[in-house]
Amino acid sequence: MPTLTIDGQSIEVPSGTNLIEASRQIGVDVPHYCYHPALSIAASCRMCQVELHQEGAPPRVVVACQTEAADGMTVSTDGADCKQARAATLEFLLANHPLDCPICDKAGECDLQNFSYWHGNAQGRFREPKREAIKRTSIGDHILLDQERCILCTRCTRFMDEYAKAPQLVVAGRGDRNVITTFPGEKISSNYEGNLADICPVGALTLEEFRFKSRVWDLTHQDSVCPSCDRGCSIRLETKRNRLLRVRPRENPNVNGHFMCDIGRFGLLESCNPEHRVSSLRQLDDSSNAPNAVDLARELLVTHAGKWLILASSRMTLEEAVVVRDAFAPHLAPDGLVFISAAEQPGDDILYTGKQAANESGLRLAGYRECTLGEVRERVAAAPDTALWSFDGDVAGQVLVQNRTRFAAIMDCWNSSHGQEHPDARPHDVDLFLPALLFSEKNGTWVNRDGVLQRLRAAQRAPVGTLSIAELFAAILDRPASSPGCPDRTHHSLGTLGLNRLPLSQIPATGIPIDSLRAEVAAS
Amino acid sequence: MEKYLSLHFERSTPLGLEEARAQGRYATAETVLRQKAPDEVIEEVKAANLRGRGGAWFPAGVKWSFMPKEPQGPSYLVVNADEGEPGTFKDRQLMEKNPHLLLEGILLASYAIRAHTAYLYIRGEYLASYRALVQAVKEAREARLLGPNLFGTDFHLEVVIHRGAGAYICGEETALLNSLEGRRGEPRPKPPFPAVYGAFGRPTTVNNVETLANVPFILERGARWFRDLGAPTAPGHLLFGLSGPVRRPGVYELPTGTTARELVEEHGGGLIGGKALKAFVPGGASTGFLPADALDVEMDPETLRERGTMLGTGGIIVIPDDVRIVDAARVFSRFFRHETCGQCSPCREGAAWSDRVLARFARGEGHRDDFDLIEDIARGSTRRTICVFPEAFAGPMLSAIRHFRDEFESGVAAPDNPTSVAHQEA
Ligand SMILES: Cc1cc2nc3c(=O)[nH]c(=O)nc-3n(C[C@H](O)[C@H](O)[C@H](O)COP(=O)(O)O)c2cc1C
Ligand code: SF4
Ligand code: SF4
Ligand code: FES
Repeated sequence: MPTLTIDGQSIEVPSGTNLIEASRQIGVDVPHYCYHPALSIAASCRMCQVELHQEGAPPRVVVACQTEAADGMTVSTDGADCKQARAATLEFLLANHPLDCPICDKAGECDLQNFSYWHGNAQGRFREPKREAIKRTSIGDHILLDQERCILCTRCTRFMDEYAKAPQLVVAGRGDRNVITTFPGEKISSNYEGNLADICPVGALTLEEFRFKSRVWDLTHQDSVCPSCDRGCSIRLETKRNRLLRVRPRENPNVNGHFMCDIGRFGLLESCNPEHRVSSLRQLDDSSNAPNAVDLARELLVTHAGKWLILASSRMTLEEAVVVRDAFAPHLAPDGLVFISAAEQPGDDILYTGKQAANESGLRLAGYRECTLGEVRERVAAAPDTALWSFDGDVAGQVLVQNRTRFAAIMDCWNSSHGQEHPDARPHDVDLFLPALLFSEKNGTWVNRDGVLQRLRAAQRAPVGTLSIAELFAAILDRPASSPGCPDRTHHSLGTLGLNRLPLSQIPATGIPIDSLRAEVAAS
Repeated sequence: MEKYLSLHFERSTPLGLEEARAQGRYATAETVLRQKAPDEVIEEVKAANLRGRGGAWFPAGVKWSFMPKEPQGPSYLVVNADEGEPGTFKDRQLMEKNPHLLLEGILLASYAIRAHTAYLYIRGEYLASYRALVQAVKEAREARLLGPNLFGTDFHLEVVIHRGAGAYICGEETALLNSLEGRRGEPRPKPPFPAVYGAFGRPTTVNNVETLANVPFILERGARWFRDLGAPTAPGHLLFGLSGPVRRPGVYELPTGTTARELVEEHGGGLIGGKALKAFVPGGASTGFLPADALDVEMDPETLRERGTMLGTGGIIVIPDDVRIVDAARVFSRFFRHETCGQCSPCREGAAWSDRVLARFARGEGHRDDFDLIEDIARGSTRRTICVFPEAFAGPMLSAIRHFRDEFESGVAAPDNPTSVAHQEA
């Protein structure tokens, strides 16, 4: 563990740490373009220059990304020499950069803007006509390339080579004729394309889906977790006027590193902005209103006492799973808490697992048993008075069609609306249809396939009439949801599962391994 | 003065194996492989102070000593025959005329660094060199001078010939290694240095053709003999290139430390058509210009460094006084703008920007503040990038301005000139 001094502060870092990361640990940001912690070192943008003083050698300016911390180093990130070197690099990069900021999607989160503001010169000296190149070309299913804006940091090519394992982007040409491009006549194809727009430090790679949709400073964002497979990548949902406009990965070493896949990123844009949001409570024979939901549900619970079979959904939060379990506990049929595990689609060996099972681990933890659709059908056929409550419209739809059974209630977490709109389903098959919150509308926790408990935060307001599963059943149980000073639902749920209690607000942004909550219980 | 490097330069065809052996080729290799340990070879070359002829003048023996003594897996020798520096055309003479001398040097160097494969990276345009070496390797292999159990020892060596594709930057040793591996010809960030992580990730020594051609003679005649030739700090003969409007341009084998005047006037026969000398480039394009009054400079690395330039490859380019210095500088700036690999922002943009500024001066559209700008482009790029390319493009423009400021002044647009703010394409 080398000990070094950066801007007067002494710090010990693991050996192999470069000077950008070492500086970051003491809160010093060394500006950089080509460096990305998940990619190999290119050391080519020359933005990260710092001054290095080492015993027995004259002081020199080095690139921080390529220099590993060593014992006894003294580093200055704001000496005159490196300031001058950075300003020079910026002047070079800006010389031919087009003045697109007013129409560039990246403006506001662009490192060329930021570093120019912090480290650049106010005045340009470039008199020559600017270099011209291809302004907008589609290089994949989601990505547009602007070669004029590109600063040739090669993050994108290294990302495709090293991370996406799809070496389809290259630098072609030499010198100032260098451009980023694909192989002639080909486009990139990868499930990780969307990340290119995030790692491009400038507006050279932008998303078709986000193009001209919003200035980035007008976006509101909330941290959440991707529901599209049971990796559960940490994400950030970015909305404007309640519409989800962009989904981006959040750095999380416990789960997804720096990236996310396209199935998640772009799928959510559709599923969270449904054209036909199922939003009204429906008792299908006569229409009722939301305020009656608690009464209706409570009534149903008692009517079918002892007959309940609950079909849970992997999109329920851990808290929802616990409160449903508790509310139904006195009324369940034997072995009455089940979920149908999601089918395995082909995944990849990067992030996407192919299994749309966001919180199946959480359901298991809360005592739900995994079973097959066939098993449910058989049980329903064998005991026709079984009362079904499904939290998954899709599964409900399939049972309905096959068994011609009757559902007491469908409370869909997916907005799939199959329960009521399946072509073969008859309306009177369902007593009560309750639209529930989508994952982007609720707070709570999910446990991913690797047992990491992560927090969801509501990023969108649900339409009037939509119900929170947690609140509905808490009301049935006559338990206040949470009030200031009271332990919250997460705290309570973890406790009932025999885990170390933790309020929602104390779950770190990178999540927490469920096992660590167990270990602490065991230890104490 | 006895020549040893350029003995067969007047030939029109390569010296074949039989003739080469008759002249003693491979005899030294045989003796050395049978009688000396690899480290003894390294020590001899160190003692001779043979410094690299590729332009950087790094001591070859020292470089060899960085290679692992007990390699775990393959080590490589890579021969730099990319010869792309403008004004330089000596390696091709060695290859086209005396390929077995190079092969013997390769054998000895490979033995010293414990390499069993040597890659020979030949400039793409050098078709004749390529053919000569393919033939020479074939002959040597048939005569068991390459391959397994050389000279009855257990040392074995294969030589693999690879042709470049026409990029100057691929002469930089780590760009060369990338190119050899089939990657984009871009210099690698260092460390790691090639002796640790070179071709295909293995320990590698890169040496210039002419460097290796000296090796058989050093081992045959001894380090003392070599050290007594030429300048004490960089002994030996050097293949000087002489080009430009002189009567007898060509390659001249002379001791290091020979004056530029002797080269230009005695060997080159002076300028054609009675032209006067304005300036000369001492050692290839990247070494910049020296004014005519510097002609008595001794051509060795230290003396030229004191003059603010370098010996480089020893390729002298003569600039007569009917050529505007800005035009001469522009020839180089265009070349460097074209040939930077472009990965480092300061080099890519600096080479292009300064070329465009020089172009304006050439059109009489310079600005007074462009002098500072050029200084700043040089300051912001030299010693600030992965390889020393910015030094190469900065050298000519800075030295041109330093020595011929008045000529540049006349390229500044007059204030009353309506075209003074020139916005035409450079
Ligand atoms: C831009 C650039 C171009 C170079 N081109 C050549 C070349 O064409 N031939 C060569 O031998 N060395 C060239 N070099 C030097 C090599 O990097 C390296 O120093 C040399 O091959 C080492 O051999 P030596 O030690 O025997 O001289 C070049 C260096 C730079 C920076
Ligand atoms: S497109 Fe973006 S990420 Fe790729 S090299 Fe250019 S600036 Fe870097
Ligand atoms: S300094 Fe220039 S030539 Fe050398 S690696 Fe950087 S861009 Fe390429
Ligand atoms: S971030 Fe270090 S050189 Fe680019």
